[in-house]
Amino acid sequence: MDTIMTVNHLKKNFKEASVLKGISFYIRQGEVLCILGPNGAGKSTTINILTAALRSDGGEILFKGTKISKILRSYKQSIGIVPQDISLYEELSAEQNLRFFASLYGLYGNRLNKAVEEALTFAGLNDRRRDKVKTFSGGMKRRLNIACAIAHHPDLVIMDEPTVGIDPQSRNHILSSIKKLQSQGMTVIYTTHYMEEVEAISSRIIIMDHGSILAEGTKESLKEEIENEKKYIIEVEEHGGIGHDEFFAVEGVRSVKIDGNVIEITSLKGIENLDRIISLLSDHGEKIRNITSEAASLEMVFLKLTGRKLRD
Amino acid sequence: MRRFISILTMDLRNLFKNPVLVGYNTAFAALMILILGYLCGGDYADGKTAYQYYTISLMIYGMLNGAMTASNCFMERDIKRPNLRIIYSPARNFEIYVSKIVSSFLFNYTLHSLLLIVLCPLLNVSLGRNPVFFMLLMAPVEFAAAALGIFFCCVFHCEETTSTLLSLAISILCFLGGTFFSLDGMGEVLAFATKLSPVKWLNEAFFILSCDNSLRLFWPVFISGTILSALMTLGCGLFFRTEDYI
Repeated sequence: MDTIMTVNHLKKNFKEASVLKGISFYIRQGEVLCILGPNGAGKSTTINILTAALRSDGGEILFKGTKISKILRSYKQSIGIVPQDISLYEELSAEQNLRFFASLYGLYGNRLNKAVEEALTFAGLNDRRRDKVKTFSGGMKRRLNIACAIAHHPDLVIMDEPTVGIDPQSRNHILSSIKKLQSQGMTVIYTTHYMEEVEAISSRIIIMDHGSILAEGTKESLKEEIENEKKYIIEVEEHGGIGHDEFFAVEGVRSVKIDGNVIEITSLKGIENLDRIISLLSDHGEKIRNITSEAASLEMVFLKLTGRKLRD
Repeated sequence: MRRFISILTMDLRNLFKNPVLVGYNTAFAALMILILGYLCGGDYADGKTAYQYYTISLMIYGMLNGAMTASNCFMERDIKRPNLRIIYSPARNFEIYVSKIVSSFLFNYTLHSLLLIVLCPLLNVSLGRNPVFFMLLMAPVEFAAAALGIFFCCVFHCEETTSTLLSLAISILCFLGGTFFSLDGMGEVLAFATKLSPVKWLNEAFFILSCDNSLRLFWPVFISGTILSALMTLGCGLFFRTEDYI
């Protein structure tokens, strides 16, 4: 697959704070690249720079091999953007919104009519096409928000957390729509802090935090990094005084996190040490309420890389 | 050009669909004229009435307040978000702010003209022997006000700050310019202060045009308004930043 976009050493500062610390990545034609990170990771700043609405303080963005500053208008013509906030005229109908936003990309006459029809079908809003947006549910607005970005058939769609605050049904609709876009050859950059969305649609993943890229790869390759680990989550009735050191004395234990009555222990795979951990707890008079174990997941990858959970 | 027309049409549609802005520029303005005209009733000089005075002076006040219509059209919260999509589109920056200026101008000019067409025969208000000159003189003033509103938005990056500053400045200038009542007879200091307000000269230009059929101040005001419009529009080009929409 050809590389459609390359980002080199992108930097952005807001006053004294360094929001992007020289990140570099690329995206290939037809991929869904998910940028995963907690609030404040720098995802939206990255997106705003990619949309050319925000200037960077360093680095460059190449679109099909050319700096976007040199081909700004044709670059904008080639991309579609789904902003985080719903960006629609509430007093207008779904069709009027689509018609206007598509016309900004040079679509008129029959081409415009066709594009509007396709976008309405994509959003599943054919039967509500003449209703004012203000009468729509949150999910319907989100779907229309995406439809407005793809009506002109862009090569690259940039989506900034497009499923925030919607019902599961609309979320599923949006995720399956993105898969459909990908099958039609569209390239998608998708930011989110929902792990399950990344699992569902990503071709490749970038994990960001504090303005840096911590890891990059496919779901499988990222999980491989922690494939040799397993995690026990033990809930006790009332946690007493067992220190971290005592857990580390058990063979195979790599990390311990104690949060109230919940103890999370990461251990090497292949070393059967659960019985010894249980014995240790029993010896200290701890009453175990529940034990679960987790296989390698993106959540675990994220936790390992950042030291915190995605929605902390 | 097609893209610009699309943006302009949308901006106009949004303005005419805003009941607050439409009401402020029509019903509220008419009510102010009727109330002040009635309260300050009685004949003025040369057989003119208080309605004549307040129709002209409050129309000028309304024209200047057009600056706030423009800032609303540019950065009002509900409009700002969909406007973001225009920023993302291949539209050129100047198409964006020029469209806001032109749409605000057309909106204000249309409503104010309609108001005059309705009120003048009703209140026996004269716009001069040839009302076309009066309407022509309104154009650069309306345009300059709209350009000023957008320029302030570009400089201060915020509709609220722009509206607060403009509202305060316009009210003070109009008060000093004698929009609500004349300050000329209130001592030397106020009489001097009133001369400093450009609104005084605007009032003067429109009053001598409507009451004395004199074009003495027509061209100075027309040219000044046109130059100010051009300068403000150029200023928008210097200060407009797409970041302000994010």
